[in-house]
Amino acid sequence: MRSKKRLLAICQNGLLAVYSVFALFPLIWMVLLTFKSDAQMFDTAFVFTPTLENYKAVLLRTDYLRYFCDSVIVSFGAVLISILAGVPAAYALARYDFKKKENVAFQILSFKFAPEILVVLPLFMIYQKIGLYDTYLGLIWVYQLITMPLLIWVVRGYFEDISVEIEHAAQVDGYFWWQIFLKTLVPLIKPGLVSSALLAFIFAWNSFTFPLQLAGIKVEPVTVAALKYLASDTVHYGQMAVAATISALPAIIFALLIQKHLVRGLSFGAVKG
Amino acid sequence: MAKIELIGITKKFGKITALDNIDLEIRDKEFFVLFGPAGAGKTTILNTIAGIQIPDKGDVKINGEVANQVDPQHRDMAMVFENYALYPHLKVYDNIASPLRSPMHKKDEAFIKEAVESVAALLRIDKLLERLPSQLSNGQRQRVALGRALVRRPKAYLMDEPLAHLDAKLRNMMRSELKEIQSNFESTSIYVTHDFMEAMSLGDRIAIINKGSIVQIGTSDEVYYLPCNEFVAQLMGDPEINMLSCRLDKKDGAYEAALWEFACVCTVPKDKELYERLDACGAKDLHIGIRPQNIKYRFDPAEDYSVGTVNSFEAIGNKSVLVVKLGAAEVRIIVPNDLQVKLDQEVYVKLDMERALFFDAATTEYICRYDEASFRAHAAGQAGKE
Repeated sequence: MRSKKRLLAICQNGLLAVYSVFALFPLIWMVLLTFKSDAQMFDTAFVFTPTLENYKAVLLRTDYLRYFCDSVIVSFGAVLISILAGVPAAYALARYDFKKKENVAFQILSFKFAPEILVVLPLFMIYQKIGLYDTYLGLIWVYQLITMPLLIWVVRGYFEDISVEIEHAAQVDGYFWWQIFLKTLVPLIKPGLVSSALLAFIFAWNSFTFPLQLAGIKVEPVTVAALKYLASDTVHYGQMAVAATISALPAIIFALLIQKHLVRGLSFGAVKG
Repeated sequence: MAKIELIGITKKFGKITALDNIDLEIRDKEFFVLFGPAGAGKTTILNTIAGIQIPDKGDVKINGEVANQVDPQHRDMAMVFENYALYPHLKVYDNIASPLRSPMHKKDEAFIKEAVESVAALLRIDKLLERLPSQLSNGQRQRVALGRALVRRPKAYLMDEPLAHLDAKLRNMMRSELKEIQSNFESTSIYVTHDFMEAMSLGDRIAIINKGSIVQIGTSDEVYYLPCNEFVAQLMGDPEINMLSCRLDKKDGAYEAALWEFACVCTVPKDKELYERLDACGAKDLHIGIRPQNIKYRFDPAEDYSVGTVNSFEAIGNKSVLVVKLGAAEVRIIVPNDLQVKLDQEVYVKLDMERALFFDAATTEYICRYDEASFRAHAAGQAGKE
């Protein structure tokens, strides 16, 4: 019995190890590439003379930092608008009964169903016409298709978990609605809000199709800019790897932060089950 | 301190009528109990008074002024919610302090500390102030919810089954505590319960609610001794009142009640008012309501006693309930604990007709009881004393 359990544990851990190698190896390979010179790019694996030349080339001799800033502005802007508009929308969907409520909620979710490439062409033409093409606002707006549904659906679930009596109690205690919202509701939805906002940020950050088609000259996020290192004469794999590695950093940092906030259960227990 | 009036309140949730034309007047400094079965609309009445729910029709008046459009924040009520509604992210201390920190009832922190600590001591939760609600038992949470209301001196306390989740000993203690708090604070309290003992012991007056309507309003003695129909009679009292069917006949100027379920004929005791009411009512089929303590029993045959068999014998604390099968009927009798009985043993019972309540079998409305005048005087005496 015990040996059986042990065998099972070995199998589980073995499989996990295989999976982690499978998942992490491309990342490790990418980091290795950043330290290789173009000359050693194709004939070395793990043994090579490390160089910081690629980093210098990307960070100092190109506009990489500007692209990075564009990514930050667009992604943060998109998430901020999603929070400002999405949290009240989620509250309304959770609390109020109105006609076609579920249809509205489903409509919002359905924005995530269609592949981006499907809508990007009509959007391109509309954006050209109304002057949103290649602007921060235009990208922030179109990113709502990515960030808003996720945020609304997660936060709505959190609002539904909060018993309405808690709001009533705060009213009777003498608080006004904005204080109830900020002091009582926001702390309770915080785990959901933070984790969904971070996820939305990562999705917006990684978005490629929309910025490729709807921006590209004045506004250029890193995902699109990384293509620049595919020059017409040679492909600078080392520089591309640097661009990709640095652009992956915020996502990795935030993903590590998410872990802590994914723990639910704050609102459990104060309400009778 | 407030006088609260509800005038013609109707509230519907979709197709369900939660409150149907409710009229209530709660006097200043009164301890008013709303009593009724689950789903009767008691909580909806409280919510309407607190301003959480707006009635579809009718007016809520506080101190004579229509308050329909007044927000809960401005009504100056404190409420204990049935599901506690504590703030899960705040410690017990901050939960109780919450009303005193709101813009409507702002106090300085030193005052708050004193108020919270004294109310916590009163409710025996002074050791729990640093805990979160999720770290408390249901009984403790309920006391925190009570504390959040009692920390303030509002116009009225609205309490929705505030003792339901406490254990029996604590409940009895808190019950007397609440009564004392109420008289010390001289506040108006509206108290929802489905516990008959709580209703009887706490309420200056009791309103009995059923299916969104008020059935009867009165002092505890009024609703106990002079219930307006069978529903109230059955609700007030534990074990429940016995309801026996009978047919009424007048012989030589005296009413005789034939209890056909177990072939017994009892003479209705002579009482001018009782006879007049029975005359006026004219109904032949009646229900006789007789409380479990008003049935005499013995184990050997005697005159006027009917024979039955013991169906069950259940000890409930300091007394026991004997259920006797009498023909087609069953009656509950309160007996001392040390009574030695065997199941299916023969037992002889006699109804105390001077204590019986008469109801019209068709409408279930109360008709009269023997010597009603003295019960009315007794109930009025209780009301006057308050």
